[in-house]
Amino acid sequence: MTLLPWKRVAQKPGPQTSVFEDLAVPLLPALYNVAFWLTRNATDAEDLVQESFLKALRGFAGFEPGTNFKAWIFRILRNTFLTSRSGLEATRTVALEDELDEQSVAGPGLYPEGAIDRQTPEINLIRLADRAMLQAALEKLPPPLLEVILLCDVEEMKYKEIAVVLDIPIGTVMSRIARARTALRKTLQAQDAQPRERGA
Amino acid sequence: MTDHISQANLNALADGELSADQLSLVNDHLAACPACTTAALVQTLLKTNIAKAGQRYTMPAGMEERLKRLATSDTAGRPRPSGRSAIAGWATAAAIFLVIFSGLILMQQGRRRTELAALAYQAQVSEVSDLHIATLAAGLGPQVLSSDRHTVKPWFQGKLPFSFNLPDNLPGDTKLDGANLTYLHNQPVAQLLYTIGRHRVSVFLTERRTGEPMAERQSDHSGFKVASVGVGDLDIVAVSDVDPVRLAELVSMIKNVQTGTRS
Repeated sequence: MTLLPWKRVAQKPGPQTSVFEDLAVPLLPALYNVAFWLTRNATDAEDLVQESFLKALRGFAGFEPGTNFKAWIFRILRNTFLTSRSGLEATRTVALEDELDEQSVAGPGLYPEGAIDRQTPEINLIRLADRAMLQAALEKLPPPLLEVILLCDVEEMKYKEIAVVLDIPIGTVMSRIARARTALRKTLQAQDAQPRERGA
Repeated sequence: MTDHISQANLNALADGELSADQLSLVNDHLAACPACTTAALVQTLLKTNIAKAGQRYTMPAGMEERLKRLATSDTAGRPRPSGRSAIAGWATAAAIFLVIFSGLILMQQGRRRTELAALAYQAQVSEVSDLHIATLAAGLGPQVLSSDRHTVKPWFQGKLPFSFNLPDNLPGDTKLDGANLTYLHNQPVAQLLYTIGRHRVSVFLTERRTGEPMAERQSDHSGFKVASVGVGDLDIVAVSDVDPVRLAELVSMIKNVQTGTRS
């Protein structure tokens, strides 16, 4: 089949598109980074960002000026991920308890009593952990903990913003952050112990 | 504050989420508690290092420009994307020409009705195939992106002068991807987008105002299979490169769900 050539009239973006692009385009690298972490795949990440970008554009009329655009578009990305194949797999396989466990509420039971020690094994471990170790630890987090830690630490969102993105109460945000960091520390400790065990 | 700082507050401290009052209490406690100070140091160090390690993936070159172009074309093209509408325009013109041409022949040669009906059918087949190809080539997502029939069907309210039902319980590898509002013979029609395995399928639902229901039939066009059937005052035409048996199965499901339930 041969399609006849046609002349495409040059279209100028409307003012609404221009405003949207001004707000959304600077966030694309951050959206892509989070999308890649969630999907663990470059192609899926590109698709996820593109789909989210177009959904946001089409729904931009519903965005309330003056509210947090970053939280709004990240929420779209996150919801789009949840309805994607990889997102559905993630939600099927992970069950989360959102209550803080006793240990996390009680205080720093993990930490030894005594003088301020800036050279504890754990501090040294975190200080010396290279990017690859930390990234490997992040990869081991289940998606609900990974997304909350990415939004909090990498995107530097406030708890209130994270609650909007994830559509969960602030208390749940706090509990997930606590669980994520505890899990990260445990993974780092386990990674650190492995070479020593092998060497012994 | 005599108790140790809770894990939640240690996190909130590292994240800058404590209120002024809470911060004051925490600072007082930290001044007197080396264990909590060490714990706070751990949390802060972890947060800083995770922030760096989390910045891992860089957007591919050209992606930003591609999305900007998509945004421009998406906005400019709605509700009828320019590429699709241009193709639809050519296809419609071709179809109209064929219909007029067919009409003249009908007046002169009444005996050739069957042949002309086939021509009209071929024109429709050609037009829906062009629309399907244009949809694939445009690479844009559906105008309504949902696998939920309860989302897709209501989206057409007010956009189409007719209603239809969508089947539930699709076969395992068949999925509703969404739908577009498009035009055939200058009439608004629903273009339902399905995936069967890896094959994309367009199903066009059109309202028939005159004539007999479309006969159930299948044909080939430009390497695509086209399956059609009429039910009530609704014509269903599906286009895909999938196995014709699977295509007919989907068309049959859509047909069956209309029976007696059309609003």
